[in-house]
Amino acid sequence: MKKVEMNSPSKGIWVFGDYRHYFQNRVTLQLIAKAKTLAQRLGAEVTVVVLGEEVHQYAMEYVAHGADVVMVVDHPSLKNFQVETYSRLVATLVEDYRPEVFLAGATPFGREFFPRLAKRLKTGLSTDCIALEVDAETQLLLQTTPAFGGDLLAEVITQNHRPQMATVHPGVFEERIHDSRPVGRIIYPEVDIHPDERVQLVCSRPEQSKKGYLENAAVVIVGGRGIGSGEQFQSLFDLAELLQGEVGATRPAVDAGLTGEDRLLGQTGKSVKPRLLITIGTSGALQYTTGIQGSETIIAINRDAQAPIFKIADLGLVGDAHSILTLLVEKLRKRL
Amino acid sequence: MDIVVCIKQVPDVPNIRIDEHRMTIIREGVESIINPLDCVALEAAVDLRERQGGRITVLSMGPPQSEEALREALAFGADQAILLTDPAFGGADTLATSHVLATAISMLKPFPDLVLCGRQTIDSDTGHVGPQIAEELDLPQVCGVNEIDLQGDSLVVKRLYDGFLDTFRVNTPALLTVSQELSSPHHIPLADLERAFSDREIIRWAMKDLNLKPEEVGLGGSATRAWKLHKAAPKRRGEVVTGSPQSLVEHLIRKLEALSILDEESGNE
Ligand SMILES: Cc1cc2nc3c(=O)[nH]c(=O)nc-3n(C[C@H](O)[C@H](O)[C@H](O)COP(=O)(O)OP(=O)(O)OC[C@H]3O[C@@H](n4cnc5c(N)ncnc54)[C@H](O)[C@@H]3O)c2cc1C
Ligand SMILES: Cc1cc2nc3c(=O)[nH]c(=O)nc-3n(C[C@H](O)[C@H](O)[C@H](O)COP(=O)(O)OP(=O)(O)OC[C@H]3O[C@@H](n4cnc5c(N)ncnc54)[C@H](O)[C@@H]3O)c2cc1C
Repeated sequence: MKKVEMNSPSKGIWVFGDYRHYFQNRVTLQLIAKAKTLAQRLGAEVTVVVLGEEVHQYAMEYVAHGADVVMVVDHPSLKNFQVETYSRLVATLVEDYRPEVFLAGATPFGREFFPRLAKRLKTGLSTDCIALEVDAETQLLLQTTPAFGGDLLAEVITQNHRPQMATVHPGVFEERIHDSRPVGRIIYPEVDIHPDERVQLVCSRPEQSKKGYLENAAVVIVGGRGIGSGEQFQSLFDLAELLQGEVGATRPAVDAGLTGEDRLLGQTGKSVKPRLLITIGTSGALQYTTGIQGSETIIAINRDAQAPIFKIADLGLVGDAHSILTLLVEKLRKRL
Repeated sequence: MDIVVCIKQVPDVPNIRIDEHRMTIIREGVESIINPLDCVALEAAVDLRERQGGRITVLSMGPPQSEEALREALAFGADQAILLTDPAFGGADTLATSHVLATAISMLKPFPDLVLCGRQTIDSDTGHVGPQIAEELDLPQVCGVNEIDLQGDSLVVKRLYDGFLDTFRVNTPALLTVSQELSSPHHIPLADLERAFSDREIIRWAMKDLNLKPEEVGLGGSATRAWKLHKAAPKRRGEVVTGSPQSLVEHLIRKLEALSILDEESGNE
């Protein structure tokens, strides 16, 4: 297998600039911040690679967020994030500049694009990392990824191949605040673009069909047995509406007829990964929590301070579901 | 339409236990299954064959006992099964795994019109293997499809992606990875299962049958080392607060603001 020279002079850390849904999808900014700290350890520069049509505004944003270099390829045929075209193009950039490390967000696109790119470059890749460190002795990137359903963590290294590539779980690193006097520069490398015509995007529309409404919700409110009555359960929908979310349920809530089977979460139901999940009156049985573990933030409400659900929550509120819900809905209505 | 379905035998993950002392997985006593999404792919292949004719080949790289998974796939409806097994294949990362699988696919005559993979496995869950086979074979790829239609020589596929429903037209030959929604795998009649385990033949290819060298496969052909396993620290151990409903709700609202779920409130109520 081909190996890139290890003693190449430039020690760049690259970040793939995924700017789609810019205000929701912050992972690129989070990666720039993380790359800056890694770069200090390696004595490297942070470069963000931005492909697309009329992407100058994003390049400026990345500079403001701390990128030392933003490499821009602006061309109408790069408008859609297309895996085949992008991997071919980015591979040539990597071969020209030889970065040490290359990171992307583990968005659906990142998880489809980076494997293809890594293969083209014949280098190693780890996926959906939740931690990245530089080993003090070897200067290698230590990439920590969840394994076997998240109960174990595996540390992955790419020893002899370059770049060391990883996709990173959104939300694990924090973005930097805007730099008022950014010093980064924007460069426009010369490249040949070969659009791949074999895959054509026919149409793309926001998904509204029933199928993915829970799985795609940014906020999910879950009710369990502790919700009690059907009337109480209705107030979950009020809360969900106020937070532009969806409602899910545990097995006992579904079995009691409080809502339909299509809202069941867990081992025998759906898995969700919202930005925020509020789980109310649920004890935290494993069969349920497997379906919610991917949530970025979990807030639990339960009257029993010992309930296992608090072990996996970022914030736990010990109290009566009914009073908290009523008050919360009332307060949020007032703010509208 | 000739279809290849790549299947991986995996441990039934919810039931695996961990040797906390040596930090290894205890596989003994844990049932092995076909990776669930690979069954979804297989069901879709059977459906396409019903509409279009053609042959289904199932392909698996793994230790000799992966033969069981292939036999199950035959019972499911596959026409032929190929086991890629060789002691040298052990320790492969996805680069080496995809190399062996792609090499085997390139030896099939005729070359398949469609290669199907699961979007990811339930054990190591990288989701690399599909796109990496596609790259090696220079095939167009679409990942995570939930619908496949045929229109002449091309496929029209859909997938749900970052909150968008995308529709693509893809020329064949192509590689698709499938998501759960694509199909519901049918139940295998016991008689078919018995027949698959008694009468059906499994083709076995080792490293030399694929004309590969030790440095291209297994550990030698790998770029990554997955080297230390840790027990995951409890993912979160946030604060647990008590108090009056009023104070709890205020706490909650502050958290929602910090998460930018709610805008910060400027004035008083
Ligand atoms: C094979 C198998 C598969 C399963 N699959 C699933 C699955 O997919 N999904 C699923 O959800 N379950 C599943 N289960 C069931 C699961 O084991 C649990 O029984 C279930 O998740 C418990 O639901 P719960 O938390 O709503 O109810 P409970 O466990 O009864 O918990 C209710 C909680 O509400 C609290 N509470 C009560 N009243 C109040 C109040 N007024 N205010 C605040 N808190 C209150 C209590 O303290 C308690 O912690 C499965 C079980 C098996 C065996
Ligand atoms: C704890 C741990 C961590 C790991 N981390 C990494 C890592 O970061 N980077 C890395 O490159 N490797 C890693 N590996 C190695 C990787 O798991 C193997 O290469 C594995 O053979 C394929 O990866 P996967 O299960 O993730 O497949 P995925 O890419 O998730 O599989 C997708 C689909 O590809 C097909 N497929 C996958 N494997 C086979 C097969 N053997 N035979 C037939 N079809 C198959 C199936 O259709 C499957 O549904 C790790 C392994 C372990 C145990």
